[in-house]
Amino acid sequence: MRTRNARSRRGRRPVRRIALPTILAALLASCAAPGTQGPPPEAPAAVSTSIGDAPVTLEVLVSTPDVPLYEELGSAFQAEHPHVTVEVTGEDFNNLTTNVPRLISGTDVPDLVRLASFGNLVKDHLLTDLDPYAEAYGWTEWPQSQFASTRVADDGRQRGTGHLYGAGPGFGLTGVYYNKELAAQIGMTDPPATLGDFERSLEEAKSAGLLPIMVNGKDGGLAYPLQNLQMNYAGSTQVVQDWNYNEPGADIDTSALVEAATTLQRWGAEGYLPEDVNSIDQTQAPARFAEGEGVFFPSGNWQAPALQETGHGEIGFFLFPPEEAGDPFTAMTAAGVLAIPAKSSQPDVAAAFLNFVQTDAGARQSTLDLLGLPPAGPADAPMPDAEPGSLVAATVESFQTLLESDGLVDFMSNSTASMHANTLIPQTQLLVAGKTSPSEFSAALQEDYENDTE
Amino acid sequence: MTPNDRRPNARPAPPTSAGAQPTDATTEISTGGTMTLDADTTSTGRVVKRSNPVKPDLDSRTSLPLPRPARRRSPVDRWSGVVWVAPALVMYAVFVLYPLGQSVQFSFYDWDGIGQATPAGLDNWKAIFTEPELFGSVVHAFILVLFYTVLPVSTGLVAASLIRELRVGTFNTAARVVLFVPQVLPPVAAGIAWTWMFSTEGLVNQSLRAVGLESFTRAWLGDFTFALPAVGIIGFWLSLGFCTVLLLSGIGKIDPSLYEAARLDGAGRIGEFFAVTLPGLRQEIAVCATITTIAALASFDVVQIATQGGPGYQTMVPGVEIYRLTFLEQRVGQASALAVFLAALVLLVIWPIQRIGRHE
Repeated sequence: MRTRNARSRRGRRPVRRIALPTILAALLASCAAPGTQGPPPEAPAAVSTSIGDAPVTLEVLVSTPDVPLYEELGSAFQAEHPHVTVEVTGEDFNNLTTNVPRLISGTDVPDLVRLASFGNLVKDHLLTDLDPYAEAYGWTEWPQSQFASTRVADDGRQRGTGHLYGAGPGFGLTGVYYNKELAAQIGMTDPPATLGDFERSLEEAKSAGLLPIMVNGKDGGLAYPLQNLQMNYAGSTQVVQDWNYNEPGADIDTSALVEAATTLQRWGAEGYLPEDVNSIDQTQAPARFAEGEGVFFPSGNWQAPALQETGHGEIGFFLFPPEEAGDPFTAMTAAGVLAIPAKSSQPDVAAAFLNFVQTDAGARQSTLDLLGLPPAGPADAPMPDAEPGSLVAATVESFQTLLESDGLVDFMSNSTASMHANTLIPQTQLLVAGKTSPSEFSAALQEDYENDTE
Repeated sequence: MTPNDRRPNARPAPPTSAGAQPTDATTEISTGGTMTLDADTTSTGRVVKRSNPVKPDLDSRTSLPLPRPARRRSPVDRWSGVVWVAPALVMYAVFVLYPLGQSVQFSFYDWDGIGQATPAGLDNWKAIFTEPELFGSVVHAFILVLFYTVLPVSTGLVAASLIRELRVGTFNTAARVVLFVPQVLPPVAAGIAWTWMFSTEGLVNQSLRAVGLESFTRAWLGDFTFALPAVGIIGFWLSLGFCTVLLLSGIGKIDPSLYEAARLDGAGRIGEFFAVTLPGLRQEIAVCATITTIAALASFDVVQIATQGGPGYQTMVPGVEIYRLTFLEQRVGQASALAVFLAALVLLVIWPIQRIGRHE
């Protein structure tokens, strides 16, 4: 009542007379098409492996858990090049992923940035083409499979081909952790050699009253066993690799994926997964597993340093078993990618740092110790030491097995920018809860993929 | 006896015949004899209005205009006002109207936020109604209105009426503080705290186990049936304090003599509530409903923290969807279309609430 009384009736008309034109003006003012116009920026000037001796600051932007590693690497680099100051900034991984396009299209741009996926960065000319540096530093002489996932074609979509846009200190790797004490209870002494053995262990764990698998269904942990099962049933990694790399016409909606979804759904129905699987996230899952909940925990080597501590040596690691004994092992991998933004003011120094972290023995050791990620680099570079018999050593050993058998495949989550959050997480949740059928699941993945890549 | 004189902070009576009017109103109530359970809202509403000392002013303006100097103004005069509001207007145009116009414009483009945009016609708008994921998120937002608005306002009314009867003192203050505390917490903190409470080993399940309801325990936020209501309960908890405090202050403004009169006429607590409290709080209820409805339809923080839209697509709301479209998928055009649609929807929903809030 009072507010209405207070408002003067006289004031209304001119307001209306002004408001409408103002709104119209605002609408008209924004009439030009949004976004950048005109030609793409020119190719960078000649690259150099010499970084001079004028004092420079190298700004490195990575995700928060990686900060200790990069500070370590930074000081090692500074020790060799005293005129360079390495400044490491940490950002929450999800924030970093969502903000990278804006961060590196602005004015004050970091010289190295941690990437999760390439999205439209290549199409929008925001990254430096590293091919000239690869040539200059001799990365072209190294095993090239390590660079496949960071090569992007000129259309900005297809990966595994085109120019090099990223390189990193080490590689992620998936497999299965197991609790040795609980495994002994069900009579499992050696890691399962085949998928059949693995499923029998799951059954035995269930009948022994143990939780067979601990997994983080809230944020995508179910996608790991799914992809492993898919690659087992397909008998080859080609389909999923093409799909991940956005090969034209790639199609994942195959009998292998339907079968994989069927198996995963059955695991849910038979109680092999935690009852609250869809509310367990990636911090809860390793904590609960380390406390003895679950015989198996499918995850990646990035968990190894922490599980080595919390698991008191009771935790082992094995690669997801193949269909038949003797078949090659397969696993998902991804490089911890660093890219040089096109607007970086120090691309030469940034490239020198990238070369340093891949080749320097001390840097490679730090990468393994602090993040659990084995480095790649030159074929003849010695693998850094891990404490023999430790969990980290087990993951490093697995990585080398896979390098030999060529069984490293990118994550399905990385196929498109939104595949992880918008498709794989909700769809695997629906799947294990029995709310979608395996064939619907398979079709939904392909449909979303086509929407994302069109 | 005029009720106004007894009120501690009664406004000075207007110089017109107002002095006599409240007396009339009081008489009307005490002689009315109809102030029982079935007292209709209209008559009560009028009674409340009459007792309001500002009312005569309204009457006088609608019936006999006060003499005003300089009724006709020169054009210079008329536009001088515009000069005074110009700074504010410029800010409003730059920070509200221009971005709004841009959002509308973006919604007709296919754009990743950085590169070149291509016109998309009405595709982005069609997608809102054809993509089940997008439309589903709008439906969920309306379900949340139940938890963010309907429940807190009704519970807040009950709580406020009960607190009103409490004697002023420690317990009364304590009750107010307890109810208002959730309002002080940032929704993100509330989201995190409730995520723990709803977890498998959390307080909710512990309590259920303690009273022997073991079979009802579940991972609330990961459950396909209960995730959305669980998110709703967080919203209810957040809204309740705000609604109660606002309604309490509204009750404080209702003339105590009305309660007294209602009691004299034999109204019980319930009768009193419907005859005096409810009509007297019409405006406060409208404000509560408006603000909480906006919070429900535009919800983002609680959902993003508690469930991120899961399990499946069960708790996806437009706010989270817009965020994902913009930052994760870089589909700025689609996100703008959904955002403009959401804004229009919010206006459409709160418009009738605003109408109800005004007196007849």
